Amino acid sequence: MNRGNYIIVTNNPLVLEKHGDTHNVIYKEVSYEDVLREVRDRIHEGHSMLTHPLSGSVKPNETPYKSIMISAERRAIDGESVALIENAIHACGKFEFKSDRYRPEVYEDFRLIDCTLIESGMASADALH
Amino acid sequence: MRLELGHIYIKDIQFAAESKIEDGILYVSEEAAKAVALEDEKIKSVSFDIAKPGESVRITPVKDVIEPRVKVEGRGGIFPGVIAKVDTVGDGKTYALKGMAVVTAGKIVGFQEGIIDMTGPGADYTPFSQTLNLVMVCEPVDGIKPHDYEAAVRFAGFRVATYIGELARDLTPDETKVYETCTIKEGMEKYPDLPRVAYVQMLQSQGLLHDTYVYGVDAKKIVPTIMSPTEVMDGAIVSGNCVSACDKNPTYVHLNNPVVHDMFEQHGKTINFVAHIITNENVYLADKQRSSDWTAKLCKMLDLDGAIVSQEGFGNPDTDLIMNCKKIEAEGVKTVIITDEYAGRDGKSQSLADADPSADAVVTGGNANQVIILPKLDKVIGTLDYVTKIAGASEDTLREDGSLEVELQVLTGATNETGFNKLSAR
Repeated sequence: MNRGNYIIVTNNPLVLEKHGDTHNVIYKEVSYEDVLREVRDRIHEGHSMLTHPLSGSVKPNETPYKSIMISAERRAIDGESVALIENAIHACGKFEFKSDRYRPEVYEDFRLIDCTLIESGMASADALH
Repeated sequence: MRLELGHIYIKDIQFAAESKIEDGILYVSEEAAKAVALEDEKIKSVSFDIAKPGESVRITPVKDVIEPRVKVEGRGGIFPGVIAKVDTVGDGKTYALKGMAVVTAGKIVGFQEGIIDMTGPGADYTPFSQTLNLVMVCEPVDGIKPHDYEAAVRFAGFRVATYIGELARDLTPDETKVYETCTIKEGMEKYPDLPRVAYVQMLQSQGLLHDTYVYGVDAKKIVPTIMSPTEVMDGAIVSGNCVSACDKNPTYVHLNNPVVHDMFEQHGKTINFVAHIITNENVYLADKQRSSDWTAKLCKMLDLDGAIVSQEGFGNPDTDLIMNCKKIEAEGVKTVIITDEYAGRDGKSQSLADADPSADAVVTGGNANQVIILPKLDKVIGTLDYVTKIAGASEDTLREDGSLEVELQVLTGATNETGFNKLSAR
């Protein structure tokens, strides 16, 4: 397992519940866009992006949940990671905000989809080490 | 490889006591089709319906669209590794039922897509308003997990499409088209003066509801590889992708991929269609790096002059698209990329989440954020309960007069990134 080599930044309580005990999970009760900003701040501290910030076809501002994997290790600032996260934050502006307009049961599905997307990244990360 | 594709034109679909195809009419025994769908114990019930072009019918939430086919000569069967046993397909003789589709619908997650309108303005945007649709709405057993339900509906659709396709086994096609590929050496000898061009197809592979299968293998676990372009015509690639209706590739699109067909059309005339390269769109960045490296390496090893690259989806795949484009161009191979746009409702925002100067030849399937009003239709197959929750819709979507205000992204196939859509600047 590669648990020491990555950090998951998330606002998804399901990711915290499933992986919080075994993985390095930073959980914040913030919006989708603010998760991206949390990640951006860490990129500027020298962490690098390990999963794509716009993973999933459920769009920003539609799903309220986002989980992103970054390196645990800090190095010199990674220009590609900066470009990726800045483009993702910019992309949020294109979508009408409606993630507060769904019926309660839909949020459970949003949490599940976000969790399966980050788990597919975790499977790749764990397989590499 | 040489595939003879026999077209059998279906003029009408009717329910009947016995399933058969006669004089271009598909008769379906509801009972027999149900038995095929219910072979999986995870499906509690299934209902069949028929939707015809021009009828005041809305189908939603659509999961997959499938063209029934049957393999009558040559190795393997339709949907190898999924329905038929694993064997290399793409050679021999296959019959396709043209003018019709099996459409699977069912609520898998609460925000699920997609809409097919058989009439009105919505019908102008979805290619599946033009097919006679045999629609199956599957209800799962209680307490099922979404990923089990997704798999059950996916397989049920393939089983029913295969059952329908088998009805054509002993028929004589109305028209036959021949698709022939050559080996690398044959191609070089036969077409020494034509540019060597390949199709690079990116397959959605991010996770639950975002998956594609190649000979039954989950595409997120493949490394880029080469196929004969005839293999997809026998169902070598199938869709497990249910999210983002406008720009996902239903199985129907894989079977009838217009890039493959158009490149065959030019093969031996203006280009030498060398190969069909497939790659994936994973969420893990190291996977993207590896896959785009390999794709560019394959383009180089094949001594290509050009590559046409098609994307599937938005956001995460934009990065794969640009990585592929940059790296293939860096090998001295010219690229044309096919994508769609999320340019905002006013069309003024940046269309893709990534960009590069090497992406200087781009074909777009349209702006998925474009707003459209869909009038109330007389009949709904499936349920409107979820229309308010699909991508590009919201709880405010259903208006007082029963019409829907949505973005194009809710319509199945509206901005398809292989060009299997109806939007055009002409």
